[in-house]
Amino acid sequence: MTGDVTASDTATGDTAASGTITNTLIDHQQVRRAIEHYYEEGFTDGLPVVPPTESYLAEFLAQVDRSPDEVVAAMPHLNRQCTLRVAAINSIMAGCLPEYFPVVLAVLDAMRVDVGARGATRFSSGLWQSTTGTVPITVVNGPVRLRLGFNCQGNIFGPGFRPNATIGRALRLIVMNAFGLKPHVLDQSTQATPAKYTCCIAENEEESPWEPLSAEAGYGPEASTVSFMMMRSTLHIEARSATRPDHLLSDVANSVGRTGGLYSEKTACLVVVSPEHAQLLHSHGWGKQEIREFVAENAVCTREAMERAGKTGISRDMHWLVPADHPDALPGEEPQFERRDGADVHRVLGSPDDVVVIVAGAANAGVSTVVDLMGGSSSPSGRGGGRVPAMSEIVTRGSA
Amino acid sequence: MSVCTDKFRTTAEAMARLHGFEGYRFVLVHHPIASLELPEIAQLAAGALDEVLAILEVTR
Repeated sequence: MTGDVTASDTATGDTAASGTITNTLIDHQQVRRAIEHYYEEGFTDGLPVVPPTESYLAEFLAQVDRSPDEVVAAMPHLNRQCTLRVAAINSIMAGCLPEYFPVVLAVLDAMRVDVGARGATRFSSGLWQSTTGTVPITVVNGPVRLRLGFNCQGNIFGPGFRPNATIGRALRLIVMNAFGLKPHVLDQSTQATPAKYTCCIAENEEESPWEPLSAEAGYGPEASTVSFMMMRSTLHIEARSATRPDHLLSDVANSVGRTGGLYSEKTACLVVVSPEHAQLLHSHGWGKQEIREFVAENAVCTREAMERAGKTGISRDMHWLVPADHPDALPGEEPQFERRDGADVHRVLGSPDDVVVIVAGAANAGVSTVVDLMGGSSSPSGRGGGRVPAMSEIVTRGSA
Repeated sequence: MSVCTDKFRTTAEAMARLHGFEGYRFVLVHHPIASLELPEIAQLAAGALDEVLAILEVTR
């Protein structure tokens, strides 16, 4: 696009595709002022936000039978709370439509357990400011996916779909603005992940041969839910030519068991199985439980690999993996090894229950994803939780 | 009595402010710690000792 945009020929319309400006309803200077105001106030994630207005806010608040003053999230160690009204404002800023707001609230309901009890759920840590750069990942199930147009197919972790993009972003803006978790100040992430902008995916229930995650938690097919987990990273699994379940899942297990992912003895993971891989596994009679058991059994690290990476010692207080001769290493302590195929190996998953399985993505290639999760049955934060992630039902006005 | 490495100064100050302790005194030592050998840790601790005692209002 070339040339100056003046007050009479303003933004958007089909500009982005063709370069033609058709929208003359708004004044660009006012738009620019509003956008810049939120940058100046430090209320953005680096991208422009939608300027909220009282009338638009009212549309959001009308979506639920809850008081605007209700505290919907809190971080007691920061002395900070987030009211429903503040959550709505940040949802507007993130680009949500009003009808998305009950989903945002359901995410906050699910995460409230995590934040309030500092990691009482299985797949979280309560750590929002850590140098690890942990980030929420939310999984949407049920009819709401189709009603609101969530993407659950191709480009599942990518851009292009408003509910996925803006609901995940709303959560980030809420923790940045309501709790002040901003980079270089209270957010101490060393590097973090691009998922910190937004990470909200939906399960591809239509192309899954198995019951959805919500059903595993006891919800019926009429229920719409969001699950909340804390993740560190996503790993791409290339298995385009796999014809056997053990080949495919060995690829998955090998990725889970890599030394670089281990900061303590045990980890947890979400396996996002593509429809093509799900069909392969299903055709051989494998379900989600068989996947969990195989991955838990085969996600191992050899002693040799751990020694090479300097991760055969256990630190005194944090129980992190450190070199055996590290000053903080507990004398004589090491991860639990077992003998297998002539080598000492360490299982990095404490239980099959430390593996969450969903189906998402397009049915166009043998590509899946492993998501490194926080928590797990062996971590202090995971011991009190159930097998499934923290999950909340999405409740709209009049549906409770 | 809090001791943290210099890379966490801003966060430590922000946390103190959040809890109503603007200007809370703590000791900063050079980053990093996790990758140091024992003699280097001892050297770091020795270097911080005077400041620790000053904050605690203890004289040697």
